[in-house]
Amino acid sequence: MSLFKRDWTPIEAEEWTSHDLVASILSILTFFLATIGIAGALLLQTWGWVALVLSMVCMVLMFKIIDPKLRAISTDFEKKEAKYLAEIDRVTRWEAGDER
Amino acid sequence: MDETQLLVHFTPLDWMWTVLFILLMTLCGIIFYNLGKKSESDFFLAGRGLPWWLPAASVYATHTATDTPMWIAGVIYKWGLRGIWYSFFAAWTALSAFISTRIFRRSMAMSQAEWQSLRYSGLGAELLRGWLAGWQTFMNMFVVAWVSAAMGKVCLYLFGWPPWFGVTFFTTICAVYVLTAGYWGVIMADFQQGVIAFVVITLVSVWGIAEAGGPLMIVHKLTALGQGWRIDPFHFDGFWGLDADHFYTMDFITLLVMATIGGIGMGNFIDWYPEAQRIQSAKTVRDASYAIWAGGFATIFRNAFWAVSILAFFVMFPGIHAEGQYEMGWFRLGFEYLPAGLLGMFFAGIIAIHLSTISSHLNLGALYATRDLYHHYVNPEASERTLVKVGRINTVFLLAGSFLLGLFMQSITSWLIFALWLQAAGIWVPSILQVVWWRFNSWAYLSSWIANLVMSWLVVWVLPAVGVLPELPNWANFWLLVVLVALVYVPVTFLTEPDERPHLVKYYVMARPLGFWGPVRRDAVRLGLVTPSGDLKLETGR
Repeated sequence: MSLFKRDWTPIEAEEWTSHDLVASILSILTFFLATIGIAGALLLQTWGWVALVLSMVCMVLMFKIIDPKLRAISTDFEKKEAKYLAEIDRVTRWEAGDER
Repeated sequence: MDETQLLVHFTPLDWMWTVLFILLMTLCGIIFYNLGKKSESDFFLAGRGLPWWLPAASVYATHTATDTPMWIAGVIYKWGLRGIWYSFFAAWTALSAFISTRIFRRSMAMSQAEWQSLRYSGLGAELLRGWLAGWQTFMNMFVVAWVSAAMGKVCLYLFGWPPWFGVTFFTTICAVYVLTAGYWGVIMADFQQGVIAFVVITLVSVWGIAEAGGPLMIVHKLTALGQGWRIDPFHFDGFWGLDADHFYTMDFITLLVMATIGGIGMGNFIDWYPEAQRIQSAKTVRDASYAIWAGGFATIFRNAFWAVSILAFFVMFPGIHAEGQYEMGWFRLGFEYLPAGLLGMFFAGIIAIHLSTISSHLNLGALYATRDLYHHYVNPEASERTLVKVGRINTVFLLAGSFLLGLFMQSITSWLIFALWLQAAGIWVPSILQVVWWRFNSWAYLSSWIANLVMSWLVVWVLPAVGVLPELPNWANFWLLVVLVALVYVPVTFLTEPDERPHLVKYYVMARPLGFWGPVRRDAVRLGLVTPSGDLKLETGR
């Protein structure tokens, strides 16, 4: 599955995939590099500017990877959340009664 | 000059900025009054329909409090730029945005206490919900108290006002729009306050840096003072050690691990609880994720500005030893160096910073007291009108309690390091386990909370005070608490029954958690709620 997959079906998007893992790592790197990057850049240190640019690169990659998936999850979940609640309630009630 | 007072002089223009800002904030309450009174969901979650940028601004505004520049000044003045890692705990949002935020938003719980009763079942879940609701009602009162105490300190410092006045006056103004418009008032005011705070923080910090001679002059002066190490965020006093006056690599690693991995869990940090409210108020899962991410990132951005401005303060005022004095560094940069006219804008910014935190915690404390205590235990049949009314009464109760607590608090930095992460150390792992492991049950989580409360006070305050334990560095306190509390909840997990399977299945299908949920997932497949490949049957219609 491509890391920059854009056409997620709701079914695919429900699963935890490598996209979540890579986006999470890039997200942490963005925060980490921004912390030292902004401070270093404000002090006009070369390492600060390098860290800041790397932070921005990580951020762009992160959004490119995770945004299509989040869109697919959101569109589907918000549309059906009420239906989920009612159906899950019905089925689990039946299952609990059956076990007793 | 008295080191505890600055006594600034305001021109009419300065007072105009201040009064205009206060009027703007109280107008929020009037404008959004009709939206807030519609239902419990509106009063506490703004109807779950907000685009990502509104809760994001609220995340940023809420975590920019009057005490925040004090404690960041405290750690940066003491440790140099390596002290910035203390403020890195905000990075839990980096991972949370794509993991725990997603899971929590899907659960539909109105509060973290309510989530406990969705995730767990039976008596344990009820006890846990009651416990967390009671604890959060108190903690939100406590947060309002310490933030108000910080405002009292600022007002004493600037105007010589008695502390009780600074503690109560601005917080009371805030209560006006929280009482009238509920979360609608909070979120709309937070947006304005977030923007104002962001501009003012950037302006004052850059101004301070310029007053110190600019970035290169700060570096030059630090080097001349023999303090060049202060601009190195990775300058540590060895890999590890037990001297509380050193900053070890282990401190850095601990702060890094705690902040980032902690984002998988729910409830590891006191910040999670207000964020949980913002997550549920976002209109979609995507909006919730971006709200948490952007709010956290803006906080990281802000911290860096504050940190460098405190380095500027250091080169202008080196050699201050009293924590209570150097933690006022950023305020001094603003009030001692900004020109007349801008002073009022700065003070309006401080009020914005103050109100944004107070409003969130007043509303959040009332949410726990109303939704999880009154509505759940006292009056489950209460009408929406009654619930909004009770929400307002609880807001007043929190306000009064915070005034009493606020008048007793003195040092900000020590309190915050304790409250922000040491007090949460023992529940750090359990808060992750409850998200990723089906077998971790309500009794285990409840026991970890109780054990942590007892042990955090013992390890950090009581035992060192009576000489039983040496005063340990923060990293050692953290890991010691992690281990001690594990000695309680691990046996409890295996000696008690797992939560009821149908309850777990319901939670699994709704929230789709990450991690070790194999047996629960298999039951969900057997019931036809999830197909073997993982897709929800309801979605495909098969």
